[in-house]
Amino acid sequence: MQPVIDYLPLLLQGLAVTLKLAVSTAVLGLVLGLGLALAKISGRGWLARPAFWATDFLRGIPEFLVLLVIYFGGTQVLAQVFGPGAPEVSPFLAGLLALGLIFGAYASETFRAAFLSVPKGQVEAGRAYGFSRWQCFRHIQLPQIWRIAIPGLGNLWQGAVKDTALVSIIGLEDVMRKSQQAAQSTREPFTFYLVAALMFLVITLISMAVIARAEKRAGRGMAEAG
Amino acid sequence: MTTTGNSRGAQPALEVSGLRKTYGTQEVLRGVSLEARDHDVVAILGSSGSGKSTFLRCINLLETPSAGELRIRGELIGMTTRRGRPAPADPRQVDRIRARLAMVFQQFNLWQHMSVLQNVTAAQIHVLGRSREEAVEKAEAMLAKVGVADKRGHYPSQLSGGQQQRVAIARALAMDPEVMLFDEPTSALDPELVNEVLRVMRGLAEEGRTMLVVTHEIGFAREAADRVMFLHDGRVEEEGPPREVLAEPRSERFRQFLSGSLK
Ligand SMILES: Nc1ncnc2c1ncn2[C@@H]1O[C@H](COP(=O)(O)OP(=O)(O)O)[C@@H](O)[C@H]1O
Ligand SMILES: [Mg+2]
Repeated sequence: MQPVIDYLPLLLQGLAVTLKLAVSTAVLGLVLGLGLALAKISGRGWLARPAFWATDFLRGIPEFLVLLVIYFGGTQVLAQVFGPGAPEVSPFLAGLLALGLIFGAYASETFRAAFLSVPKGQVEAGRAYGFSRWQCFRHIQLPQIWRIAIPGLGNLWQGAVKDTALVSIIGLEDVMRKSQQAAQSTREPFTFYLVAALMFLVITLISMAVIARAEKRAGRGMAEAG
Repeated sequence: MTTTGNSRGAQPALEVSGLRKTYGTQEVLRGVSLEARDHDVVAILGSSGSGKSTFLRCINLLETPSAGELRIRGELIGMTTRRGRPAPADPRQVDRIRARLAMVFQQFNLWQHMSVLQNVTAAQIHVLGRSREEAVEKAEAMLAKVGVADKRGHYPSQLSGGQQQRVAIARALAMDPEVMLFDEPTSALDPELVNEVLRVMRGLAEEGRTMLVVTHEIGFAREAADRVMFLHDGRVEEEGPPREVLAEPRSERFRQFLSGSLK
C-alpha cells in the first residue's frame, strides 16, 4: 500500500491531465460534430459533400494513426514551413486534435440522425409563430435533438476518456503514463495498472450516472409518448 | 375580451388578391382573393387537393406565393426575386407578420419537449418579448378559456387529441392575433373529440375573433361562419353567406361536394 500512497500525488496529476484532455476533446468534438451535422443537412451540396467525406475518412482509419499523423506529421509540416527552431506540436495538442476530430466525426452522425427525427411540423409551428430560424433551432430543435442524441454522445464520451490512454504513447503525462512510470520504478506493475484501471472506472461510473440523469431530464414529457 | 380594438377597424385585417402558387409545373392556386374584416369568420371548403392548405400557408408565408398581393392591416408584404424565385423581401417583416397571424394545424404541432404552459408562453416570450410573468398570466387565462387549465404541467404526449388541439388554440389566442388561421383543426381527431374543439371555436367566432377556417364540418360553416368560400382546383368556385350558398349552391361542383359531405 505504501508505494501507492507515495505515488498518489503523481498519479493524481496524471488524472488531471487525462480529465483535461477528455473534457477538451468532448467540447471540441461537440462543436465540430454539430457544425458537420448542420453542413450535412444544409441541403447545399458544396457544404454537405465535404462534411460527409471528412466524416467517412475519419471514421475509416485507426484512431492511433490519426494521432501519429497529427503529432509527427504536424511537427514535420511546421518544421518545413518555419525552418529550424519551428514550434513542435505538443502531445496534448496532438491528442486534442486527433481525438476531437474523431469525436466530431462520430458525433456529427449522432446529431444528424437526431435532427432528422424531429418532426417537420415542430419547426413549422415555430416559424408560423414568428420564431426566426435561429430561434427555431435554439428553442425547438436543439432541445429535442439533445434528448435523442444524449445516449449516443454519452457513448462517445466514454470512448474518448479511454482513448486518452493512447496519447500517453506519444508522451502525454496522463494517468496511463504516470502509472507506467510508477510501475517501472517500484517494479509493481500489477498494483499500479490496477490503480490506473480503478481511476478510469471511477470516471466511467460517474459519467454513466451523469448521462443517465441528463437523459432523464431531457426526456421529460417523452416517456409517455406513443 | 376581443382583442381587435375599434381603432384598427378602418383597414381590413387581411387582404389577399390574385394569389397564385406553382409547384414545378403544377399551378395549385390560380388567383385567389379574399378580404377579411375584423370579426369575420370565413369557412374555406373544398375537396382534398383543392389548395386549401396551400392557401393558408401562403397567407402566413410558410409557402412563398408565386404571385399576388398580401396585406395585413394594410401593410403590404414586400416580395422580391432571389435566385430566380419569388421570396419575401424582408425576413424580419415575415416574422413580425406571422406573429400576428396565429395558425392552428391539423396535427396540432405542439412542441413535444415543452409542457402545456411552456407551449403557450414560448412565442409570447421569444417573439412578442413579453415578460415571463405576463406570458404565464396570459397563458393561464387562455388555457382556462379553452378548458384545459388543469393540464398546464402536462406534456402534449399525455393529452388526448382534443385536449392537444385546445392547447394549440390557447397557444394561438395568447398571441392576440389579428387573424386566426385554422387548417382542418378537427380532421385528425377521433369523432367523439371533434365537438369539444368545435365548441371552443364557436365561442371564438361569437366573441368576434377574425378567423379563416379550413374545415369539412359543414355544420360549423353553416352556424359559425359569416362567409363560405369553396375552392376547387385552385380557384374560388363559389363564395357567399353560408345560408345562401349552402342551401342553394350555384355551382354544380359545390353541389356535388356538399351532397358528398352530407352523407
Ligand atoms: N410542397 C409541395 N410540393 C409540391 N406539391 C404540393 C406541395 N404542397 C402541396 N402540393 C400540391 O398542391 C395541391 C394542393 O394541396 P393542398 O393545398 O395541401 O390541398 P388541400 O389542403 O386542399 O387538400 C395538391 O395537389 C398537392 O399535391
Ligand atoms: Mg389540407
